[in-house]
Parts: sequence; structure tokens; C-alpha cells
Amino acid sequence: MTRIEALEAIVAAFPDDPTVVTLGVTARELAAVARRPNHLYILDSMGLPPAIGLGLSVSLESSRFGKIITLEGDGGLLMGMSALATVGLLQPRKYLLIVLDNGVYAATGGQKTAASAVDFCAVARGCGMIATDVEDISALKSELERCKIIHNPILLRVRISPQNAKVPYLLEDPVILGEAFRKYLAT
Amino acid sequence: MSSAQERSAAVVDGLEAIGLDYILHLPSSTLSAVLRHFDEKANGEKPRAFPVTREEEAVGIASGIALAGQKAALVIQDNGLGNLLTALNTFPQAYHLPLFMVVSRRGGLGEYNSMIHLFCERVDAIAEAAGLRTFVLNGRVPLDLWSSTVTKGFEHSQITRRPIAVFVDLMGGQP
Repeated sequence: MTRIEALEAIVAAFPDDPTVVTLGVTARELAAVARRPNHLYILDSMGLPPAIGLGLSVSLESSRFGKIITLEGDGGLLMGMSALATVGLLQPRKYLLIVLDNGVYAATGGQKTAASAVDFCAVARGCGMIATDVEDISALKSELERCKIIHNPILLRVRISPQNAKVPYLLEDPVILGEAFRKYLAT
Repeated sequence: MSSAQERSAAVVDGLEAIGLDYILHLPSSTLSAVLRHFDEKANGEKPRAFPVTREEEAVGIASGIALAGQKAALVIQDNGLGNLLTALNTFPQAYHLPLFMVVSRRGGLGEYNSMIHLFCERVDAIAEAAGLRTFVLNGRVPLDLWSSTVTKGFEHSQITRRPIAVFVDLMGGQP
């Protein structure tokens, strides 16, 4: 499964729910798949998206949204993994963290991450989350549907291939990106 | 000069007056009276206080809370300020999001910890270099201004849409 295929399936499953998107190729490819006001593109801040998604999730617990989604990479999660402990503590019912695991830092030349040595689902379960490993696109689509009826914090670890799509850089003003997302949440 | 107990009570009053939804905190002996006040609140009573694992995580969570239109404050100690600098400058600073923190100062005269000086003595310069707007409450500030300064610090973060820190010297060691 390529990253683009995974992103297309995620957008199709959750077209309107708030989605925090990690930096680098993931943000660029998602922008190429679909530009939506419910997408918050994190242009830097590696490791921070799981925490940002957590803040949104606790605040939007009673909102109209079904899930608060965070798209993170394996390298990004390794950098911000301690946030999973706080997820476990707060138990936000709508928190869905999707880890697109290609085993490398895709935006910086494909250096290996430590993900091959880490069982992300075991870590998430140890922090009180529901967690599932997903290996192919068919399983991803069915897991995304299953997530909709689970009212606990969830981590999906999605194995993707390491290649990147040829898409433009995302070089937009972060103030405008953030304000568009804030307005979407407020309406 | 006011006591540590009186200064802590004033910080509590200032935070309560904001009408916060959440308080995110890290461990601090100097802030223990402040943290105890919020941690002992009944389930469902605002603000909801909870511990976070690192300062940059707190920046991420509080920024998400701000994007969703709710109010949060970080209550942390200054020797952890270095942990949050990149997160602060690449997310709430860059995206123009309000973020408010009460930061306990350590080091200086009266400090009992022999190790804490090295970082804490540089915190003012680090905050300045990071573009973090700060307001200072220390022994030179009359006690009757402490509470309102905390509350106004939060309002300033909302008005200016940027991170604001109120540095509080609860030990009385900072001149």
C-alpha cells in the first residue's frame, strides 16, 4: 500500500472530521489528494501532531464530529510517543491516531527509523488505547469503518511502502492554514 | 515582603478568574500549592487539571484546545522551558495561536538546589531570544497586583494571538 492509497482511503472514510496532518511528504500528498477545510497541515513541529490531536479531542468531545483524526508517521510518533501516556490518562473517546509506518524518514532522504524495533500497537495498548496493525488497503478500509463504532482512543498502525509520490511542496502561510481550520471547527 | 503561601494563593486566584477549561501541568515543588488546588477539584469541575509528560507535549495539547475555542493554561517550572522552544516557535508562534503559561522561576538567592542555577539563570535570555513575551511577578511586585497580572496575561495571549508567559517567583529568591 502506498501512502497516497492510504490517504485516499482515510479521506473517503472521514471526509468531514477534523484531521491533523504531520509534516513532510504526508502533508504534501494529502494536499494533493484532497484540500479540505477540516485538514490542519502541520508544516514543521515534528513529533507534535499526536499532542495537537489530543488537545482537539478533549475539547471536541461533545462536538458534531465523529472522530478527531491525527495522521502521523513512524518517525514522528517515535519523537512524540510520550503523548500516548496522556491519551491513556484522559481517554478521549474520539481520538484516532493513524500511524503511516514506512520505516524511514521519507522527507529527509529515507534514513531508517527505529520503528522496526517497536511494536506501536503494544505501546498504545499499554497506554490504554485500542490498537490494530493494518497491512493492506482492504484491511485499512474495513478498520476505518470499525473505528467509527468504537468510543475509545484508537491507534491504527498502517504499514505503507517507502516510496513518495511526486507532489509539490506545501509552502503556504501557516497563519492562513490555522485560521481556516479554526473557522471550520467553529461553524 | 509577601510569603510563598500568599503568592501561591494569588496565582491560584488569577488562574481561577480566567475561567479556564484546562490546566496542564508538570511537576514542581515550588508550584505544589497551586497544583494541589486544581488537582483537588471534584470530577467535572472546571478547570480540569491533568499532568503531561513533557513541556512540548503541553504546547501541542494546549494549541489544539485553543484551536477548538477552549481555554487552557500551562503551569510549569522554568528549568523545563528549554524543552518547549521548538514546539513553541514552529506551532503556536508560527500559526498565531494564543497560548498561556505560568512559569515558576527557580535559582537565585534562597535556592536550595545546587544544580538548578545553570539553566534557570539563563531563562530570561532564552525567552527573549525565542521571542516569548513574558511578564514578571517577583518580590518587587506588590502582592495585590499578582492575581490581576496572571489574569491579564491570559487576556494578552488571546488579544495578541501568541504565547505569553507570566514568570512567577514563588520562592522569593529572584531579586
